[in-house]
Amino acid sequence: MLSPGFVARRVLHALVVLAVVAVVTFFIVRLAPGGPSLLADPALRDAERAAIEARLGLGDPLPVQFLKFVGNAVRGDFGQSFLFGTPTLQVIASRLGNTLILAGAALTLTLLVAVPLGTICGLRPHSWLDRLISVVSVVVLAVPVFWLGLMLIIALAVLRPVLPAGGMYTTGMEGNVPDLLRHLLLPAVVLASASIAELLRYTRSSVRSAARLDHVRTARAKGLPQRAVNLRHVLKNALIPVVTVIGLQLPRLVGGAAVTETIFAWPGMGRLSVEAALGRDYPLILGVTLVVALAVVLFNLLVDLLYPLIDPRIRTEA
Amino acid sequence: MTRPLMVLSFALGVGVASAQSNILQLPLINDPIMNPLIAPELGSILVNKVIFPGLVRPNEDLQPVPDLARSWTITNGGLVYTFTLRDDVRWHDGKPFTADDVVFTFNTARDPKSGSRLASDFSSIKSVEARGRNTVRFVLSRPFAPFLILLGHNAGILPKHLLEGKDLNSATAFNRQTPIGTGPFKVSRVVPGASVTLVANRDYYGGAPKLDGITFKVVPDLNTQVAQLRSGGLDWVTLEPSNLPSVQGAQNVTIKQADAVQHYLVFFNQKNPLFTSATVRRAMQYAVNRRAIIDGILKGYADYPTGTIPTALRTYYDKSIKPVTYDPAQARKLLLQAGWRPNAQGILVNARGEPFKFTLIVDKGNATREQAALAVQQDLKRVGMDVTLQTLEFATLVRDYLIPGKYDANLIWWTTPPDPDQYSFYATGQDNNEAAWSNARADALLRRGRETVDPAARKNIYNAYQRLTMQDPPVLVLYYPKELQAISRRLTGVPDLGIRDALRHTERFDLR
Repeated sequence: MLSPGFVARRVLHALVVLAVVAVVTFFIVRLAPGGPSLLADPALRDAERAAIEARLGLGDPLPVQFLKFVGNAVRGDFGQSFLFGTPTLQVIASRLGNTLILAGAALTLTLLVAVPLGTICGLRPHSWLDRLISVVSVVVLAVPVFWLGLMLIIALAVLRPVLPAGGMYTTGMEGNVPDLLRHLLLPAVVLASASIAELLRYTRSSVRSAARLDHVRTARAKGLPQRAVNLRHVLKNALIPVVTVIGLQLPRLVGGAAVTETIFAWPGMGRLSVEAALGRDYPLILGVTLVVALAVVLFNLLVDLLYPLIDPRIRTEA
Repeated sequence: MTRPLMVLSFALGVGVASAQSNILQLPLINDPIMNPLIAPELGSILVNKVIFPGLVRPNEDLQPVPDLARSWTITNGGLVYTFTLRDDVRWHDGKPFTADDVVFTFNTARDPKSGSRLASDFSSIKSVEARGRNTVRFVLSRPFAPFLILLGHNAGILPKHLLEGKDLNSATAFNRQTPIGTGPFKVSRVVPGASVTLVANRDYYGGAPKLDGITFKVVPDLNTQVAQLRSGGLDWVTLEPSNLPSVQGAQNVTIKQADAVQHYLVFFNQKNPLFTSATVRRAMQYAVNRRAIIDGILKGYADYPTGTIPTALRTYYDKSIKPVTYDPAQARKLLLQAGWRPNAQGILVNARGEPFKFTLIVDKGNATREQAALAVQQDLKRVGMDVTLQTLEFATLVRDYLIPGKYDANLIWWTTPPDPDQYSFYATGQDNNEAAWSNARADALLRRGRETVDPAARKNIYNAYQRLTMQDPPVLVLYYPKELQAISRRLTGVPDLGIRDALRHTERFDLR
């Protein structure tokens, strides 16, 4: 179905994106003011500071540091994290799975809530349900993630302690799935909230425009039952822009994860990226950025591959 | 909304998480480095206090009492310290603890190339050697009075049999997963980014601990820490005064305050001609309403300052010294004496018409410090100084401004060991004297203070130093803060100390 040329182009494209991300990130983080938090202790004496700088390899001029980085990176070595003292990729690997669980749950929740509700609103614009959902989704979009998170913690973990206030497992119960689900519920809802509101509004408007297309009107005029019109003609047409928006949710999930994971003490990549940035852990910042960039590129590729399945016109073009 | 969630919660087969009965739960901001020689931040230091005892530890008066050492003698005019070690101590892996471990630890600690962060604390050591299995002899290159206090501060003893010949920073398995100490609790499990679980060490030389274990949970957000404290997920949280309302009224929590060996201050860069005159720096002491900062911003949880020696150092602090109280008229008078008079707009100008204009920097994100800096700026404006306030991220502030001396004024704090020695902070040309203050008499007093072993004589020296800094203030000391602790009412046996020092006594802790 896909030509090898198309796939090769996409892979090349992905590699170029990753290389650009790496170069830009490398220079931006190193030219940013400040430095590794290991050195930010004002009580360090000069000799101690010099020893730490030498160990972290910060004495070399920037271009030399960059060449060393590239040399190591092509061999798959992204260096030792300053903060953890272990290879960067190992640190990321220990957190990646946790974020995938959270982001996966949030994305599932988003799809399960936003697409059906958005479709209903789009098919019945200006009904009371549509109005109610519009108001709620605007409010949710406007509310900061950390505020929503803290309110839910106060309501459901402090005042009415039905769910844990944070963490991924009760200590000592690591690996217990019901315990994980209990811990997952609040952060997944918080992380999904903004995505739900956004995707819902897209779905609604997409369904509305699809419902007004000529061939939909024709189908209806032919006497096709409304349900069949909606399923076969409206939804199928409405899905394309919706799939695009779903593709755009990934960076948002990762970005939102930084805040959500911090509030809910979730040991994932989002919080790791915050720790790396605050600690000016150069290798870890680069590692996290590249992994996230790779995920975004792959996700977009997946979305591109989905288009032809949904819309035959794209299939012929591809 | 609550009901379906409750149903869901029970449907998932687990009820409301009840706090485990006899396991203390403490918060951390991030994963700790469990090696006392290279621990870079407070969280790691706290964990290390539980796992790695030192030769001595501080008692409730912050004075060193025996820990791994049974006793010691000081001879040769304070140059030779001979410690007799306990002979009933085992490492968490069962190996016996000996004098060789102590020698290894201090030879590593005083070598900056090892990556040790304690190198300067122990730079006075000329040699350290084992004299038999249970005796260690330190020879110092000069008498150094804070030596014992520093031994009880961050200097936990490391196992030679596991770390000898290894680069400390690369010993990842030891530092991150399986540290081996001699303390009352040993690490049983580490979940990266989530928790460090310690279980009671039944072979602990000080008798079996009362708690079954301690869990350090990684909870980066202070608001979430407070929420977990209230819901029973944590037992002890240290707070900022601005967090107080969120725990007041909570049934299961009690608020305690402990002395912190800290002074919060404003550095004035004395390489800048604006601040070279002691009269100008004295004027600042009158110009800033420190009582208002303490009462308003710190909610009263701080002591009013007299110089750089905090009240927490009870033995050495001279209570008889009269503090400088808020008096803007007196400030203006002193500034006039120093040649600064207000122009038509009320801005202070010198004889050449140049304004008294500078930038005050403070780190971003800590509400207490940001508000204090704002108060200082406003007060100094009131006496005619043109002060701009700039907030910077902490790492940037330290590395790009403070250390290279590229700043005018800077609000910051010093946390010191429980000893009055401030030589490296305020003696001429020292690494941590970033204000570039220089006073020959202070240099002499500070040098004598660290070399005098007799406590009574030391007290006189530091009292003289304290008095001197009221006349020639090296910095503008704003307050001596209290450490605010929100503690679960179930927790007992905690000594009346800041959390750093209290955690040296975890074997006495208990949960009702």
